[in-house]
Amino acid sequence: MIKKVLIANRGEIAVRIIRACREMGIETVAVYSEADREALHTKLADESVCIGPAPSSESYLSMDRIISATIITGADAIHPGFGFLSENSRFAELCEQCSITFIGPNSKVIAKLGNKQEARNTMAEAGVPVIPGSTEPIYDAAAGAEIAAEVGYPVIVKAALGGGGKGMRVANTPEEFEQSFLTAQKETRMAFGDDTMYIEHFVQHPRHIEFQVLADHYGNVVHLGERDCSIQRNHQKMIEESPSAALSSKLRMQMGDAAVRAAKASGYQNAGTIEFLLEKNGNFYFMEMNTRIQVEHPVTEWVTGIDLIKEQIRIASGKKLSFGQSDIHLNGHSIECRINAENPAKGFRPSPGTVTDMYLPGGKGIRIDSAIYSGYAIPPYYDSMVAKLSVWAKNRGEAVRKMQSALGEVIIEGIETNVDYQYEILNHPKYLSGDVDIEFIAENEKTLAQAVSKASIV
Amino acid sequence: MKLDNVFKKTRHSSGRKGYISLNSAKPEVPEGLLRKCNKCGGAIISEDVKSDYYICPKCGGYFRVHAYRRIEMVADADTFEEWDADLTTPNPLEYKGYEEKLSALQEKTGLREAIVTGKARIDGTEVVLGVCDGRFLMASMGEVVGEKIARAVERATQERLPVILFACSGGARMQEGIVSLMQMAKTSAALKLHSDAGLLYISVLTDPTTGGVTASFAMLGDVILAEPKALIGFAGPRVIEQTIGQKLPKGFQRSEFLLEHGFIDGIVERSALKETLSHILLVHESGRTHAGEAAGDKAAGSGAEYGGMTKEGAPDAGNGLSVNNRLAKAWDRVLLSRMNDRPVGSDYIRELFTDFIEFHGDRYFADDKAVIGGIARFRGRPVTVIAQAKGTNTKENIERNFGMPSPDGYRKALRLMKQAEKFRRPVICLVDTPGAFCGLEAEERGQGEAIARNIYEMSGLKVPVLSIIIGEGGSGGALAMATADEVWMLENSIYSILSPEGFASILWKDSSKAKEAAEVMRLTAEDLYRMGMVEQVLAEPSTYTIENLKEVTGKLASKIEDFLNRYGEMSEAELTKHRYDRFRSM
Repeated sequence: MIKKVLIANRGEIAVRIIRACREMGIETVAVYSEADREALHTKLADESVCIGPAPSSESYLSMDRIISATIITGADAIHPGFGFLSENSRFAELCEQCSITFIGPNSKVIAKLGNKQEARNTMAEAGVPVIPGSTEPIYDAAAGAEIAAEVGYPVIVKAALGGGGKGMRVANTPEEFEQSFLTAQKETRMAFGDDTMYIEHFVQHPRHIEFQVLADHYGNVVHLGERDCSIQRNHQKMIEESPSAALSSKLRMQMGDAAVRAAKASGYQNAGTIEFLLEKNGNFYFMEMNTRIQVEHPVTEWVTGIDLIKEQIRIASGKKLSFGQSDIHLNGHSIECRINAENPAKGFRPSPGTVTDMYLPGGKGIRIDSAIYSGYAIPPYYDSMVAKLSVWAKNRGEAVRKMQSALGEVIIEGIETNVDYQYEILNHPKYLSGDVDIEFIAENEKTLAQAVSKASIV
Repeated sequence: MKLDNVFKKTRHSSGRKGYISLNSAKPEVPEGLLRKCNKCGGAIISEDVKSDYYICPKCGGYFRVHAYRRIEMVADADTFEEWDADLTTPNPLEYKGYEEKLSALQEKTGLREAIVTGKARIDGTEVVLGVCDGRFLMASMGEVVGEKIARAVERATQERLPVILFACSGGARMQEGIVSLMQMAKTSAALKLHSDAGLLYISVLTDPTTGGVTASFAMLGDVILAEPKALIGFAGPRVIEQTIGQKLPKGFQRSEFLLEHGFIDGIVERSALKETLSHILLVHESGRTHAGEAAGDKAAGSGAEYGGMTKEGAPDAGNGLSVNNRLAKAWDRVLLSRMNDRPVGSDYIRELFTDFIEFHGDRYFADDKAVIGGIARFRGRPVTVIAQAKGTNTKENIERNFGMPSPDGYRKALRLMKQAEKFRRPVICLVDTPGAFCGLEAEERGQGEAIARNIYEMSGLKVPVLSIIIGEGGSGGALAMATADEVWMLENSIYSILSPEGFASILWKDSSKAKEAAEVMRLTAEDLYRMGMVEQVLAEPSTYTIENLKEVTGKLASKIEDFLNRYGEMSEAELTKHRYDRFRSM
């Protein structure tokens, strides 16, 4: 059983995991870079180990240092959080070789699902709907153009190893294809050191709907309903909610079944997320499976009452799931807003700096996951997300009003944040009506920006 | 707000019961999973190193490679056939404990001795390979190492195969005393016979190559390559430091130091090694067949053809000069020949040849960047190409010393010409220099001797030599690369006894009269053609830059083709006689 967990991450997710461990009576070890000496996770854990200089390649991505820190501190498990090494099959494999419990699926599953082409093939075989697209890796534009014509325009070119919007380009017409392909491939080569691409039909104006699953080591798999993450900017999620206004209970059941099939087909263990694109006509397609805890997991926790981090640790400890699918009911409505240290007026440029003063809202149905505090200097080296504000209420309307109210209370001084921008989204008629898709931000960027600047003058 | 030691720690509670342990083993790093880089000290995952040519992913440092792994890295799969695997040492000095030490090492490494030799293919080309393995007494050269190399080289000579030796050695093997010393002579002598048979030997120096190995087979390659940052020297750095009582500078005796000092042809990254070796082998392979055909044709080459050729090569008309250009003043041409944006040697190499691979160094003192040389293909056939190299900007010009070669540059050129002679490749020289470098160091190292030696040796070179003056042909500095079968000039290039400035200064004691000097010196292509000093003048566009270089090289290429055809048919005796007569009549 797990007695001591090393958290191979930083920021709010590290804090979140430390808290869960503490509640379970499990000791915690934080690792930190030289830039994170004053970070909350460093201070909060039972023990902290410095693992290197500020650049993540030399600290939070340094596998050998993290493994060494684990051995030295006598931790028996590593929670990878999200980002960094969380979906690195090589790292999971190292943990396996060193008899360290990696809190997540095993390395083979991560490798299989991390390769988009292989993941897609696995899903198609299991009867999970996939977007029509290339079945073989593509390395040059000419071969790509042929496939694109078969698949049908518009098409999207993606990196086999990609993520976070890097190495992705849409081509609306055959004329655009070569340029899109080459740009995407160049980005891919720079970001991942690989130039394997694939192509698929580009689904226009879909919603991003993802299903949370939990799978234990005994073949039990349940889904915990969906999250609607359609509010995205440049493929980066901004607002997530559960349940989705677009899902009937019948569709939810179909998609949930598909998610469970997907997890079973890949031999999945632990918490995972299956991402779907949902077209207006109700067709849905498997996009990818994330083999880690997600940023937006709190909304699922709100509506199901299940603590996902604790479940992850229990599953990794070899415990059976204590509930079945019929025990899971989605109750009420939850929304989460990501609060980033960035300046929406300047192209969302990151805005690191010292938080001189802050006040965060609270009260019934309001949750803050954050790692900043008054006087904390946000280092410039890492992700700009500094807090997650999530709310719960009986229904969507109440949840929206609660979020509006909560956002209105947030005060973070010393840095620029996207709080006002989020506030404007929460007041946008389209958002209020629930009629949104992943193009919402792109299509309303101007009006949102104008609303923010107008509000700040007043 | 300071948060030091303000939070409560985890209190152990009963809340952890009821778990089934999935993982009973205690976390630990298994033996061999991680290793330490001996260069940067960083912990690295062993497998990452293996999958990346045994290079540290953190600092890029090179690990030593076991002999069989090295063979796998360069040879085609399953082509290696080992020779003389069972030779063992008889302990010539009856040195106490030596046999025990050897058998312990044999057990530990699975090797019989410190070198593995045999035959393999590299991208299909058959070669004889010898690879030292540093695990075995630092691959020191005792009788067995010497014997295996000698046998492998002898067999290569017999079977007419190229040899590639990977050196990695501490030097002679102390336990075998004088017998070990004699291996230096044995291996070198075997390589001499191999070389005399016209065969190629490539030496690859890896970390470390020192002592008696450096002072014998390692430094005798026709081509010597090294891995980055390898320690290469005769005396070990520690011995030198103790002897002279000084700390050695950083980078002393490393590959980069040797390259700068002219002792190696190039530094090759491990990932590019196979490709580089294969490239060099292929150029020499086709050279071999070409030379063979030429030798077979020897009888066919006749004096009659030779006579016809000179006529053909010296037509009075048709040199393509435009009327305007014909009227240009000599001084204008001097200025044109020195224009900053005029194409330079490296531009012609890029445009006229394929597969160029640069070889560095004179093997005595330095690698002179004012001369670029190496092997390439001209329309498929192997050639040696040597260019006096001006830069294309101020920075590069400083690096290349404005195209003014030092003695090291001429010696490098001569080394490459002799190599061309050995492998029967024609030599093409691109001349563009204000003159040989005039300076203290140049005199100290014998500038005059170097020029004289080049003229002397070139006059007897047994392969066709073509020199093309593409810009300035400054005096002896130019002639040292233009003692050729034919000398061609670009329309606005010049060739003279010295610069017009120098001429005016010596004869008229006034260097400002350079303009007038230019008019009387007869240094233009047209003048020299009329005087019979050059065989061809090649027309240039009125404004000649890299943009319209192709207009010139296009015509130039067909003329070179014609030259190589004509002279390629001549016997060695005819060639050298023709060259002798050419200068004898001037």
